[in-house]
Amino acid sequence: MEKLSCVGKSLPRKDALIKATGAAQYAADRDFAGMLYAAAVRSPRPRIKILSISDAKARRVPGYVTLVTYKDIKGVNKWPVVMHDYPFLPEKEARFAGETIALVVAKTAGAAKKAAALVELKYKELPFVADPLRALEKDSVKIHGEDNVFSSFVIKKGSVDEAFEKAAFTAEGEFSTNYQVHAYLETQGAIALPEPGGGMTVHSTTQCPFYILDAVAAALAQPYHKIKILQTVTGGGFGGKEDVPALVASHAAICAAKVGRPVKLIYGRKEDFQSMSKRHPGWAKVAYAADKNGRLTACRVKYVLDGGAYSTLSPIVLWRGTVHAAGPYKIANVDIKTYAAATNKVPCGAFRGFGQPQICFAQESLIDELAEKTGMDPVQFRLKNMLEPGDKTVTGQKLNSCCGLKEIVQAVRKRSGWDKKVKGRGPGAGGPDVVAGIGFSATYYGVGLGAGGRYLDRAGAMVNIYKDSSVSVSVGNAEMGQGALTVLAQIAAETLNAPYEGVKVEEVDSSKVPDSGPTVASRTTLMSGNAIVDAATPLRERIFKTAFDLLVAAGADASKPMTAGGGVFSMGGKSVEFRPVAAECWRRRLKMCEQGWYTAPRTSFKNEDGQGDAYVIYSYSANAAEVEVDLKTGVLKVKKIWAAYDVGRIVNPRLALGQAQGGILQGMSWAVYENLVYKNGIMVNPNFTDYVIATTADKPEYDITFIEKPYKDGPYHAKGMGEVPLIGVAPAIANAVKNACGARVTSVPLLPEKIWKELKKA
Amino acid sequence: MPEIIVKPSDLKELWEMLPGLPAARRYLAGGTDIVTADNAGAESSECWIDISGLPELAAIKETAGALFIGSGVKISEIENSKAARKWCPALAAAIPHFASPSLRNMATLGGNAANGSPCADGVCALVAEGAYVLLALKGKKRRLPLRELFLGPKRTALKKDELILAFEIPKRPHAGVYLKLGPRAYFGISKAAVALTAELSGGTIKRAVVALGSVAPVPLLAVKTSAWLAGRQLSPQTAAAAAAMVKAEVSPITDTRSEAQYRREMCGVLLERALGGLR
Repeated sequence: MEKLSCVGKSLPRKDALIKATGAAQYAADRDFAGMLYAAAVRSPRPRIKILSISDAKARRVPGYVTLVTYKDIKGVNKWPVVMHDYPFLPEKEARFAGETIALVVAKTAGAAKKAAALVELKYKELPFVADPLRALEKDSVKIHGEDNVFSSFVIKKGSVDEAFEKAAFTAEGEFSTNYQVHAYLETQGAIALPEPGGGMTVHSTTQCPFYILDAVAAALAQPYHKIKILQTVTGGGFGGKEDVPALVASHAAICAAKVGRPVKLIYGRKEDFQSMSKRHPGWAKVAYAADKNGRLTACRVKYVLDGGAYSTLSPIVLWRGTVHAAGPYKIANVDIKTYAAATNKVPCGAFRGFGQPQICFAQESLIDELAEKTGMDPVQFRLKNMLEPGDKTVTGQKLNSCCGLKEIVQAVRKRSGWDKKVKGRGPGAGGPDVVAGIGFSATYYGVGLGAGGRYLDRAGAMVNIYKDSSVSVSVGNAEMGQGALTVLAQIAAETLNAPYEGVKVEEVDSSKVPDSGPTVASRTTLMSGNAIVDAATPLRERIFKTAFDLLVAAGADASKPMTAGGGVFSMGGKSVEFRPVAAECWRRRLKMCEQGWYTAPRTSFKNEDGQGDAYVIYSYSANAAEVEVDLKTGVLKVKKIWAAYDVGRIVNPRLALGQAQGGILQGMSWAVYENLVYKNGIMVNPNFTDYVIATTADKPEYDITFIEKPYKDGPYHAKGMGEVPLIGVAPAIANAVKNACGARVTSVPLLPEKIWKELKKA
Repeated sequence: MPEIIVKPSDLKELWEMLPGLPAARRYLAGGTDIVTADNAGAESSECWIDISGLPELAAIKETAGALFIGSGVKISEIENSKAARKWCPALAAAIPHFASPSLRNMATLGGNAANGSPCADGVCALVAEGAYVLLALKGKKRRLPLRELFLGPKRTALKKDELILAFEIPKRPHAGVYLKLGPRAYFGISKAAVALTAELSGGTIKRAVVALGSVAPVPLLAVKTSAWLAGRQLSPQTAAAAAAMVKAEVSPITDTRSEAQYRREMCGVLLERALGGLR
């Protein structure tokens, strides 16, 4: 790979200081003159017919300003996200407990909250459906269309029935996974400021400023150029700030438009739990067939996601899950059917992994079961069936050379001491009742939006070099903690040969850059990175030409090649820094600001049979988990995770390591601890007391390896990595539990109670 | 949060100001329960009385026969008290399981008890220590065995405005164990917890007290099992028999935190391990 001075280095995070010192301004930290506060009035029951809403009592609260209902919406009362079935505010019917029905505006946040609690809602309860499998039955209550199916996909290839008939070995199982709450430290929130002449500026925590632009423009019936979205420093997203911030920001904007003053709407943790998106609970029935040599011959999948009350992102979450449902294996005969079902619960949406972790838990657990039947070691079995460059995925997509799956599997196998450990499961260190075990998983991940979001898969950038040589970069993808500001600054600095310290990438301003799609699907480094390279390339030509001229003028030997690195240009013993070069460019009146654009290459996937290229490029992960299980209590402790990734070229190794560790911990937390409970359509534990996530004390030891397969179309050969580390963690742990104590737990989270019950059965 | 929060500087001032305060009032000690409840919309008092500055509640004292831990003493102070570690070994063993270090810097034993939760780690341990609770209401003082303070989930024998002054732990040389099964490595509410104190003589248990958390409506003193253990040889057989017995004494429920049957079985596992851990 080429020698680079910024890309590939662990340069310090651009936002480290403001975040570490508390100087960062999150949405809740911003105040404006004359600002009022909004609070939501929420549906108390799973499904209601709204009879009336009265603020007679709320009016008595000192500081009360007004009640805002659907009647105050100037635009079309449909939030424009994918299927347009979610009203900004419901008119006749509310479909889940926690849904915003109206808003109260008051002079203080306390008064707004108090008044919202006093708004009288008269309603009639309607029959509801809470279970997604029940929702798909013919005689269930219908809340969406005639079948409660938001969307459905198929992948069909070969003759599956025949392959199962002929198979030497088969394995079949049902698996389920529960919700996951994003648990971002910063809850949802937005401030809407009316502009003279009917416009609106919105400050919001978000990972998708352009989704907010779509929504606010629609809600206010205003043209886009009158609406400006400014992303505030965002305290965590993980997918939870993909779609729903648009709803929160629209509510703030509807309120602000009504009262003509800035309105701040900041969510409390409980309402954030109850009403904002979650990882879909998943249910899957999976079957694999193999021949007598242990080669996979067929895969059959039925996969159901619990979409909740409105479709939001369910169709595309389901699509990603569908494409990856058979795992990273060569399989000739495939029959995959998937459904997103409507239920009267919180609408589910994006969460790191986006529909893959649920089905990956099922299929990677089952691969172990099948390997056991064939008498093969689980890793050997995987290696035998694994996708390699030149192989075709289940959608018939031929993989190019940028596929390091086998190498990462071998790396994890070797580093974890797999071959020895898997044979002799032994006592653990935690007492006489504790046993140890090890488990494996392998995954692939289509980077970017792929065919499921092909019309959104473009990104813009603007690179502006000021007279003093400082550089500002505007992009349309967001920093949400993952390090985008840093990685993108590295790419800009590398291309321009500008000093890294002098490059600033800013939080998104929707009026500065064109719609760049969402900050999701591990696409930011790839898409915004390429857009920056596109913008910076003509600037680079001007700068390099000018630097050459300055060096010649200084007496450099022009027969020698000019080199550039770290903000310095050198030739024949002379050198010049970026700053005087930039000044000279300005003196020559060269254009020092450029726009860039990148569109993902076309994909050929067809919905009819699920065949064709689904994504442009894939990233890969392999995971080994070592666990200890207490045979008397069922308590599971994840001791160590070995992981290896092929995510293309690493732009910032320290940040990549952070993404890997965070992804593993979040995946482990979902697999082992996180348990959101609904009872009769009501969320029972919308708080961090009883919705338990892993703490640092639960953290396993990490052993992380990157195998950098260069991706020719990536910026400096990078692919994408944000979601990759999470996906395969749960099945590796479940397989380790099986290896340790013989218990096959088929549902996430792997609570001690479930392991204990399995142990009692044995 | 209520609009009125008052902070008396001593007990005398407290009793004097009470008649002038709104009727819907509560004491605020460390705030780790009440502020959380307030955030969740489950607290609607008109007035909080901040008792964190009352000097009468703030000390750990020793007399010839007993150790007194003021109700306002922070959990982290108890953690660092030699006397508490010596005379309350089960309590000392419980403290690392008590919330998180930052919460232990705020929380108090008085609040832990007054909150009336059956899963309070500090209280469960103190019940096993055979503690008494000293209460005051204006001039009137009374002393109860701690376990009698608890009437049901979040219900105590405290009268309106009655204040917990201190916990009295009789001084007796004994061993203590606290084992908790929580939802994660630390900082979680127990699914089941066992506190055990025992006076040992050679290999014989002279006297044992078994208390359990999160498996009954109140922090539970296992009267039968405790009595049965007295005079027994400390052995795996004794531990197994006691484990079987304690499972019949508890009355756990199924909720979001765990399941009744699992909790019942775990009481046996934890007690067996606690007895095995006695030295």
